[in-house]
Amino acid sequence: MTEPFLSIRDLRKAFGSFVAVHDVTIDIPRGQFLTFLGPSGSGKSTTLYAIAGFQHPTSGDVLFKGRSLLSVPSHKRNIGMVFQRYTLFQHLTVAENVAFPLRVRRRPDAEVKRKVAEMLSLVRLESFGDRHPGALSGGQQQRVALARALAYDPPILLMDEPLSALDKKLREEIQAEIRRIHRETGVTILYVTHDQDEALHLSDRIALFRDGRIEQIGTGEDLYVRPQSEFVASFIGNSNFLPAEHLETVNGAATIRLADGSVVSGVRHDREFSQGQKTRLMVRPEAFRLRPGPATAGLAVEFVDTAFFGERRRVIARTAAGQEIDVRPTSDMAEAQEGIASSRQQIFFDPAAAFLFPA
Amino acid sequence: MLLDYDRLGWLRAALLGFTGLVAAFLLLPVVLIVLLSFGSSRWLAFPPPSWTLKWYGELFADPAWLEAALTSARIAAMAALLAVVIGLLASFALVRGQFRGRNVLRGLLLTPMVLPVVVFAIAIYAFFLRIGLGGTTAGFVIAHTVLALPFAIIPITAALEGFDKSIEDAAIVCGASPFEAKLRVTLPAIKIGIFSAAIFAFLASWDEVVVAIFMASPNLQTLPVKIWGSLRQDLSPVIAAASSLLVFLTLSLMIVTALIRRKLSK
Amino acid sequence: MSCNLLHRQPILRRPDGSGGALPALTLITLFFVVPVVALLLRSVTEPVPGLHNYATLFGDGTYARVFFNTFLVATVVTTVTVIVAFPVAWMLAIMPPALGSIVFGIIILSMWTNLLTRTYAWMVLLQRTGVINRTLMDIGLISQPLPLINNLTGVTIGMVYIMLPFMILPLVGTLRAIDPMTLRAAALCGASPFEAFRRILLPLSLPGIAAGGLMVFVMSLGYFVTPTLLGGTSNMMLAAMIAQMIQSLLNWGLGSAAAFILLVVTMALYALQLRLVGAKRMTGGI
Repeated sequence: MTEPFLSIRDLRKAFGSFVAVHDVTIDIPRGQFLTFLGPSGSGKSTTLYAIAGFQHPTSGDVLFKGRSLLSVPSHKRNIGMVFQRYTLFQHLTVAENVAFPLRVRRRPDAEVKRKVAEMLSLVRLESFGDRHPGALSGGQQQRVALARALAYDPPILLMDEPLSALDKKLREEIQAEIRRIHRETGVTILYVTHDQDEALHLSDRIALFRDGRIEQIGTGEDLYVRPQSEFVASFIGNSNFLPAEHLETVNGAATIRLADGSVVSGVRHDREFSQGQKTRLMVRPEAFRLRPGPATAGLAVEFVDTAFFGERRRVIARTAAGQEIDVRPTSDMAEAQEGIASSRQQIFFDPAAAFLFPA
Repeated sequence: MLLDYDRLGWLRAALLGFTGLVAAFLLLPVVLIVLLSFGSSRWLAFPPPSWTLKWYGELFADPAWLEAALTSARIAAMAALLAVVIGLLASFALVRGQFRGRNVLRGLLLTPMVLPVVVFAIAIYAFFLRIGLGGTTAGFVIAHTVLALPFAIIPITAALEGFDKSIEDAAIVCGASPFEAKLRVTLPAIKIGIFSAAIFAFLASWDEVVVAIFMASPNLQTLPVKIWGSLRQDLSPVIAAASSLLVFLTLSLMIVTALIRRKLSK
Repeated sequence: MSCNLLHRQPILRRPDGSGGALPALTLITLFFVVPVVALLLRSVTEPVPGLHNYATLFGDGTYARVFFNTFLVATVVTTVTVIVAFPVAWMLAIMPPALGSIVFGIIILSMWTNLLTRTYAWMVLLQRTGVINRTLMDIGLISQPLPLINNLTGVTIGMVYIMLPFMILPLVGTLRAIDPMTLRAAALCGASPFEAFRRILLPLSLPGIAAGGLMVFVMSLGYFVTPTLLGGTSNMMLAAMIAQMIQSLLNWGLGSAAAFILLVVTMALYALQLRLVGAKRMTGGI
């Protein structure tokens, strides 16, 4: 087996009695776009800082092509990084900022010039070289930071919530830029964010952090379709959790009884449940249908409220047991309207798209 | 990393060591004076051969010292009061006013802080000789008020700039007269600034040497003038005793200031 | 804002809000501007009208030496103060508050202690038979007392002592305003600590260094007490010379001419500083 490109081994970081990162282990192949996703304080930034060398881990190791980085000071790690705040050198022009890493590496003038031009065109700021960072918009400053971080062709680029200071429209614009740059340069990117949409849009793979541990790691689809815990299910996308009683499992497909007494078969899960065990059934809002299909299960509800969201209509429905659930039917609008007109009715979902968790 | 205390490595040890040395350098004279004031050596040998209170005895035996201290306190209190009142009024104009030349006025009012004191000292000395205020308490108070005014204006304008005027406006809309609104709403809000102004203005006068040397007369001497006169004669340990009392006063003032600031900011 | 939108406009209040400045303006005009201008007038009227006082000051080598000394002392004091203050301010800007407040306490204590008390302490420390010389002789480092007082060394030590707080405190503000992330970014870009210091930290703190340094320089130029007590007769400074001309020699013409030169130089540097940092930021230091 070949050495992984970048490898985090049993990384642990404690601040006094508080453990920020619990024995995190990840292997990252070359060229991958890996996102550390998680709520604030979940240890994702601390892990990133350990790779950057801003924080020394309590134990564990960070290996680059099989060699430990821990004893290498930050300035010799040859890693690129874009920060949450812009961190541009205010006393230098845009071009001088991008040239900075090359200057401290004592690269010849001609090469610096060529590389700065190349980087500024990569981030589409060719005509801004002589400006000072203070005269640029937030989005432009972050693009300069990106150019500066890539100027010395680092094999790894770290990005610590780089878009959090920008407004929504600008964020989407720069997300597209980042994807393009990842494609064009092939650099390995470790990206930290608490925004699940950002993570889903950008990454090849997502590591979902919770309380200093990796809850689940996989592609966005893995996390969305096959969440390994209720936390993952609720963090990635929206979910409804219906209380249910486990009756039996045959060939991996469970039969359960919902609170209103209806029995549903063919539910997926990846754990052992005993008969009669209390469980929770996860159903995504967009998994609901207003019309029955082949092998769908029905749920008697009352529509409480409805809101128009452009692409979809969102309906708040109340089950017979009195629980409010979120429904975003994918059927056409007329159907939805019609459904809402009669407030008491059945909605349907595919048990194979639902997932069972312990209560 | 250079601004991350935890990631400075050996550099941190070096810088902390240096900072410690500078702190020791700053503390050294203060501590030394206090120690020497209890030492028995007339020539201020250190470490002292034995400990004594006789220099304090000599200090209190000479009524001129106490008189000088009282004179200083009286002048400083009056100068501080005047500087704070005049400075407070001026600060409202400087911060709130909408008139031309506001920045020029600000610069002018702060100039006494920048101009070398010796220039002001001989100027006011000559001026007071001519108008008959030389060597009088009134002359001292006026001269020190001029010097203390910038120290009063700076903290008050800073506090006033940090105060949201719409709160005062709200009081006026509620029926308070503009004066009442200032008295009941604005002044309490900027009391820390006013308090700092009073402390700085007091110290500016209390510590003032140069003007005092020129203005002093045999029957009106401030404490710095008395110390100056003694210093020029010899380095008597009595000065160390007087200085120690001043250090003690400074420390008390620092503690009281810290306590009052804490109380005011609640 | 729900109460009553009507309120009376007081008659005595000036509409532009300048009224409050009147007492201060009167005080400063009457007891600062007028005396200083009157003094400066004496420089061109005494003993006879003309510019001869200035001719004397600029023509005589004795006075040239005093001017040279004044600038020399101010330059040396400023340089030493900046070099000593920077590392301290740097640490104060980032050290844990508990530790920092001790150092701040020491700085305030030294700053608030009576000026003459501090100078007296240095006289005791630096004199021929003073604590420093005795200690050095006792441990055998020197056999003869070092000349530490009544010369440039004494003045420099005493002045740096007084000026340090004025340099450290504003510099802490400047350094605190720099985002530590910027330095992390520099490190990841490949800058060694030395490179990061030279190319990032130092340039970013330069405005603070320039402002503080200029202030120390201006204050040193006109300083009277410390140079008089710790300096020697051979390196007299301008302020002491002015005082001597008035007090001992009663030569008002020459004294006020020298005062005018000091005033012009000081005010020019002050104006430069205002341009450099803006009036607001400079006065925010206290």
